[in-house]
Amino acid sequence: MIRLELYQRGLLDLVKKRCVAPEDPYLRRVAESRALVVVREIAVWWRVFQIEAQCRFTSRLLKHLRCFHEVVTSYFNSNRTSPFVEELSRDFLGSLRTHDLLLIRTIAQFEYAFVEVRAGCTEGFEIEWDRHPDLVFQALDNGNELPAPEPECVYRMRIARELPGMVACSREAVVPGDSQTE
Amino acid sequence: MASVDAKSSPKSRPALATTYEGDDIALLERIVPLIDVIEISPDAIARSDAKRACLRPEVLDEYAAVAKSVEFIAHGIGLSIGSFDRWEEGYLHLLDGLFERFDLEWHSEHLACTVVAGENVGTMFPLPRTEEVLDLVCGRIRLLQERYRVPFLLEHVIHLLPDAPAEFTPAGFLNAITSRTGCGLVLDAYNLECDAFNQGLDIMAFLDELDLGPVRELHLAGGVQHNGFHLDIHSGRTRDRTLVLAREIVKRAPGLRVVTFEFLKEAIMLLGHDSICDELTRIRQTIK
Repeated sequence: MIRLELYQRGLLDLVKKRCVAPEDPYLRRVAESRALVVVREIAVWWRVFQIEAQCRFTSRLLKHLRCFHEVVTSYFNSNRTSPFVEELSRDFLGSLRTHDLLLIRTIAQFEYAFVEVRAGCTEGFEIEWDRHPDLVFQALDNGNELPAPEPECVYRMRIARELPGMVACSREAVVPGDSQTE
Repeated sequence: MASVDAKSSPKSRPALATTYEGDDIALLERIVPLIDVIEISPDAIARSDAKRACLRPEVLDEYAAVAKSVEFIAHGIGLSIGSFDRWEEGYLHLLDGLFERFDLEWHSEHLACTVVAGENVGTMFPLPRTEEVLDLVCGRIRLLQERYRVPFLLEHVIHLLPDAPAEFTPAGFLNAITSRTGCGLVLDAYNLECDAFNQGLDIMAFLDELDLGPVRELHLAGGVQHNGFHLDIHSGRTRDRTLVLAREIVKRAPGLRVVTFEFLKEAIMLLGHDSICDELTRIRQTIK
């Protein structure tokens, strides 16, 4: 009989793709089964559903860039995921801080800040955009092409409880060696 | 100790229950006249604040508003009664909160594991049917029975992965648990159909072998077929064949008290309020 600890640790490793060739004969059978693929899909499907609902703009951007499912799957496989949607969302958005694409990092930071402030956080957040945020949101809402970066300026967005609508944004011209708010 | 026998008072027909997870008062107002019991899933009405989960007070208030019209039972997802190392204390904290606020007829959980060495697995692992697991689960059931003093029920879960080497049959394992602890059972008709489709379970042989005396609750739901497997995702109406099976179980389980139609909160948009109400009416007719 397989010991419970070996069974559960083995299944977890298989579902999270941490182990490809287990020694135990039963776990080997699981590793080779079609059902394991389905169990993995179900586990990721739940995370996808929760992240879609809670991280609206980040999800839309990732879908727009055709990498949503891949990013969530990679996050699920590489991290401990919370069953609570609030923690899952925060942790997922936090994990995107190191993403290669600047716009993904920016949107994730924006959404993280917004979730935190809406949840009562008294801290303020500042996020720098390389293009007009409203145009990004409009593009994501309407499924249009994303606006191009604007190398001549940055958009400095503040998110804090005390701000009207919790958000304020200013455009700043980029002058080499200096900066100036418009 | 709160065994199911202590509160067993078979009725001529079982009561009708459904799930409700809050935030949809219009739905609540429509379903309450159609049902007798609301099944509350503490995990589903919880939010996590500063790494500690707590029940959402606004949803508890929704239940309180209809407390004169319906009874309540609890059905957990996250206790992880079968984890090799420890169960989830956080779930018990949620359940404590629910018991503080409402009189619950009983509470139930899945015979499964959702957390391994502190890590959420993202799904439910069924438990191997071994003496080791039997001892572990029965010990934990006794602790629950001492803690809450109302009956505790266990629900069998579907098996997608190949069955682990076992010392008991599926029904024999449930019989061993109920006879050792006096706990009750939730039978899920759709889960049985999934196991029949996915694993070749002979449902009638299972029911013949199972001691149906401890069965207090019957779950009904609709799911989906995906990549050649039936999945117990509560996203649809109950199939006719599931209702036929339900009628058989109602006939054969002498202590059955509640039949519950389960649907995911996320499926409400898909199903629509009308369809949910129609389904409750249809199930009520079926279990008469």
